[in-house]
Amino acid sequence: MKLYLRLAWRNIWRHRRRTLIIVLAMGLGLAMMMFYDGLMSGFDQAIYGNAIKVLGGNIQIHAGGYSSEAGQDPLTPLSDDQGVVTAALAQPQVLAATRRINTGGLVSSREGAFAVSIVGIEPEKELAVNLAAQNVIAGRYLTAEDGDVIFVGKGLADAMGVTVGDRITLVGRSTHEQTRNRTMTVTGIYDLGMPDVEKGTIYISLGEAQSLYDLNGQSTEVAVVLKQLGQEASVIRALQPVLPGYDVESWRTNFPELVAAMETKNGVMDIFSIIILGIAGIGILNLLLMAVYERTREIGLLGALGLKPRQISLLFILEGTLIGLVGVAAGIVLGLLFNGLFRQVGLDYTAFSGVTDFMALISERIYPSWGVEKLPGRALTVAIISALAAFIPAREAARHEPAEALHHV
Amino acid sequence: MIKLIKMALRDLGRNRRRTFFSALALALGLALLLLMASFIRGEMDGAMDTTIRLQSGHLQVRAQSYDESKTSLKWEDLIEDPDQVAAQVASLAPVKAASPRLFATGFAAAGNHTTGVRIIGIDPLSEANAPYREGLISGDFLTPDDREGILIGRPLADKMGLNAGDQILLSANTSDGDVSEQPFTIRGIYSTQTSAFDTAVVFLPLGKAQALTKTENHASTIFVLLNDKEQTGAVVAALQSSNYALLTWTEMNDLIIQTENMANGFMVLFYLIVLGITATVIVNTLVMAVFERTREIGILAAIGMKGRRIMAMFLAESSLLAVGGILLGLVLGYLIVAYFTSYGFYIGDIYGSSGSDFLIYDTIYAKLTLGDTASLTLIAFVITLLAGLYPAVLAARMEPVEALRAEK
Repeated sequence: MKLYLRLAWRNIWRHRRRTLIIVLAMGLGLAMMMFYDGLMSGFDQAIYGNAIKVLGGNIQIHAGGYSSEAGQDPLTPLSDDQGVVTAALAQPQVLAATRRINTGGLVSSREGAFAVSIVGIEPEKELAVNLAAQNVIAGRYLTAEDGDVIFVGKGLADAMGVTVGDRITLVGRSTHEQTRNRTMTVTGIYDLGMPDVEKGTIYISLGEAQSLYDLNGQSTEVAVVLKQLGQEASVIRALQPVLPGYDVESWRTNFPELVAAMETKNGVMDIFSIIILGIAGIGILNLLLMAVYERTREIGLLGALGLKPRQISLLFILEGTLIGLVGVAAGIVLGLLFNGLFRQVGLDYTAFSGVTDFMALISERIYPSWGVEKLPGRALTVAIISALAAFIPAREAARHEPAEALHHV
Repeated sequence: MIKLIKMALRDLGRNRRRTFFSALALALGLALLLLMASFIRGEMDGAMDTTIRLQSGHLQVRAQSYDESKTSLKWEDLIEDPDQVAAQVASLAPVKAASPRLFATGFAAAGNHTTGVRIIGIDPLSEANAPYREGLISGDFLTPDDREGILIGRPLADKMGLNAGDQILLSANTSDGDVSEQPFTIRGIYSTQTSAFDTAVVFLPLGKAQALTKTENHASTIFVLLNDKEQTGAVVAALQSSNYALLTWTEMNDLIIQTENMANGFMVLFYLIVLGITATVIVNTLVMAVFERTREIGILAAIGMKGRRIMAMFLAESSLLAVGGILLGLVLGYLIVAYFTSYGFYIGDIYGSSGSDFLIYDTIYAKLTLGDTASLTLIAFVITLLAGLYPAVLAARMEPVEALRAEK
């Protein structure tokens, strides 16, 4: 095998120019994929960073069956919320676990009205991990004793024309199928730099939420904040067996459109990438067809020396694959250069925050990652396409009769 | 010239398989680009059409102080006597329909479920509301004097487990900043196949919506549809003297236009890369052909063919290859696009956000315009020709004596 590799390697560099041209084609294709991957994960990171700020945690734990009704914010209490908190805190990666009540509601003033998520929080416990709490620009944050006061975002305050001390009407729903209508005073205003998101979330103290929604001493969600990002999957895996009958989910579950959008886009791009690499593969095919023709006598010689047709095919398939792999190397260099450039300047997407809920989470320029997340898969695709492209020429080469091929002029 | 083309044709025919594969590379590239272009066009045109039909109309007449982002219901932010204003607008020739609408923010509750909704009070009889009437999938449409009926979207009905005839509790903001609440009976369930819209919007008859929100004889906007959207300017000019704010579909849908521009920017990059890859494949094939025929080129030069003619011969070859590849690509591209034009591509709920300014059907139908086809074909041809220059120059520069002696 090593001998074949050495032969193949030498063969592909016999005509440096044509090999380099195909390497460039493959490289361009791969670099484009890397740029796309980098952009997508840049998006993901930007949204991710802000989503956990807004949601107040990387992982949410709800009563079983909650997630099938995501978006409706049902007031289904956790059966043992303190137990859930203790279980979550027992995980070494967990920084904080706080109890919440999450429900939908409507805030209204004479200026206008907005549908919002009403979040009841444990103010003292959340202070360290809740970014809204840390970015107060007017008034004050909540305390556990607060009743009839709410903590709103700058985006909402601006839109409703309210400031600290103003009163607004909050409509929510209690567990007994009635609506609760309450006039509340704005105690403080937070600013996360995402006006569209701020419009959608207001905070009240957990105690107030419990009395407002008849959930005495109960809560509907435990929000878990991890010490480091990126460990969600392992923590969720560790928590699931400890908390049977609960839904333990990452922040993504709250953004089904984001997941769907990413899946659709990535699926389409995967197909396109195969077509594009296939085009470059045709380049390899043509190159090798030419090589087979040029090296007719050589192939005859190899046959005469005792190489079996299968071994001759192998040589050509190796050549195709090697060209593809050199293309991968070129693509990585190109892709890193490309992404490196865009990492310097970033891309401005803030104008599109109105398109979807998740786009609203983009607060600043997007910086693509290096685009190496899917590189192993992409490289493998290149290798497979290159090997397949070499198939026809390889079969051709193997068909040569040594005696005839030797006589070829 | 004809001789040149004949020679080029024969040369291409000498290695049919190689020629075919080169043309195939170009064809695949072009087909892919046609498909992409048709998707973007379909998505953006679809978004614009859908948004105009369902949400923005071609033109809206509002009070000067009305701020859309707040859904204010203060009387001074609304249009008084909307029927009269609508009738006035409707009397203009290019106007197809003009109908008052009232917007309020609400909160719907049924059983154990609650959700925020956007309430639109409509005139059930107006032609402007045909998309909702035609989208009715169960129950009946609203009638103008219905005092208890409500129309809700299918995704909302599904999520809350509701059917026509069921009760739903609706809270809404009112003109004095308060909230009023009332139970309604679901008269019908509609679907516009646009999840973001259907999830968020519930309809009431205008009169009932005004009563609920304490905005007697007021409306948020006059929703105007024109026979032809190109006439927007003329209608705006005719209404200019009125005391109202006029918003055109381009102003209201700026986001879609921006998104389209951004998508097109990315597409250009994508086109260049794909065609660049295609071009390298073709360059390589032609370069190999040049070297294969070194002696032949030497002979041609030796019998007096000038460098420029040799170059022209190879350029003719790449042009023919380009024409062949493009024809194949057009056929291939059109077949694939035709499939997606009739069957569409299901994207599901990826723009699903309540109150989004960007409405689009759950399925994208590819739309290939003649303009896109022509420009892509032209770009593909030019790039292939440019790619053909290099091997042609290589061939033209060969020294006859050396070329003749070159090893086979």
